[in-house]
Amino acid sequence: MVDLDELKGRFLNTEFASRDLQLQAEKLVTAAKASGESRSEFIDSSDENFQATPAYLCSISSGQHLPIDFPSLGGIPMDGGKAVERFAPVKPDVPMTVKAHLHDIYDKKGRSGRMIFIVVRTELFDATNTHLANIDSRLVVREKPDS
Amino acid sequence: MSINTIHDVEFGVELPVFEPDTSLANVGAFARAVGWGGARFESHEGAREEGFPGALVPGIMGMGFLTSAIHQWAPSGQVKHVDTVFRAPMLADTPAIISAVVTDIDEDEGIVELDMTVKNTKDETRVFGTAKVRLPLS
Repeated sequence: MVDLDELKGRFLNTEFASRDLQLQAEKLVTAAKASGESRSEFIDSSDENFQATPAYLCSISSGQHLPIDFPSLGGIPMDGGKAVERFAPVKPDVPMTVKAHLHDIYDKKGRSGRMIFIVVRTELFDATNTHLANIDSRLVVREKPDS
Repeated sequence: MSINTIHDVEFGVELPVFEPDTSLANVGAFARAVGWGGARFESHEGAREEGFPGALVPGIMGMGFLTSAIHQWAPSGQVKHVDTVFRAPMLADTPAIISAVVTDIDEDEGIVELDMTVKNTKDETRVFGTAKVRLPLS
């Protein structure tokens, strides 16, 4: 059985990936309209407050799911959910930096074994280092039973 | 009732039901826009070859449906935080029903909390979550 405290000590709150990116207005509009969005600030790129929807932000990643030396837990990580916290509008054509770290690791035990939850937090900053948003991805792994 | 300020919100009120477009064409358009184009989200046959019952609706599109419902309900509201759990796959070309209920109101801070679900027509929950929405104080 994997020692979660040991994993936390090794990996939590240590940046493991970063990259630069810019969003494209056309894609923001398409995704917003497909989601049923009707507000101008999300579907009209000429709106002075035009920005990405919360859901679009959740598609942003650092390009790496986990730290390169993170141990295998025996199963394939599944996408268990996502959360986004917005601090400022995220606009297209603006240079941004994405940084990723592990925010939490916890487990839930059931009759079929233990599920391990890994929360990857992706932080989004603009060129002035203004913190725009946090995106949390919950990866769920069914731990492989000891043989 | 259109919600304009925090004082328009009543505890326990349910948001108007929102039925999103889950057609394969619309799901494919969303998937391509977020960079996730491919058989899993754009082709029933291709998704079945990957072991799924049909083309999937991306989980974050479910989040998009939920926030769109909030924006329709409260045109001046700003979703500050939304947290969704992907409980089971949503299938393209299958109706989805969005519902949400007000679970907390902070009139000092102008924050409303909502519990939200995406269900299929069998009343099975596919996505559920919570949201914090900031509304004008006056």
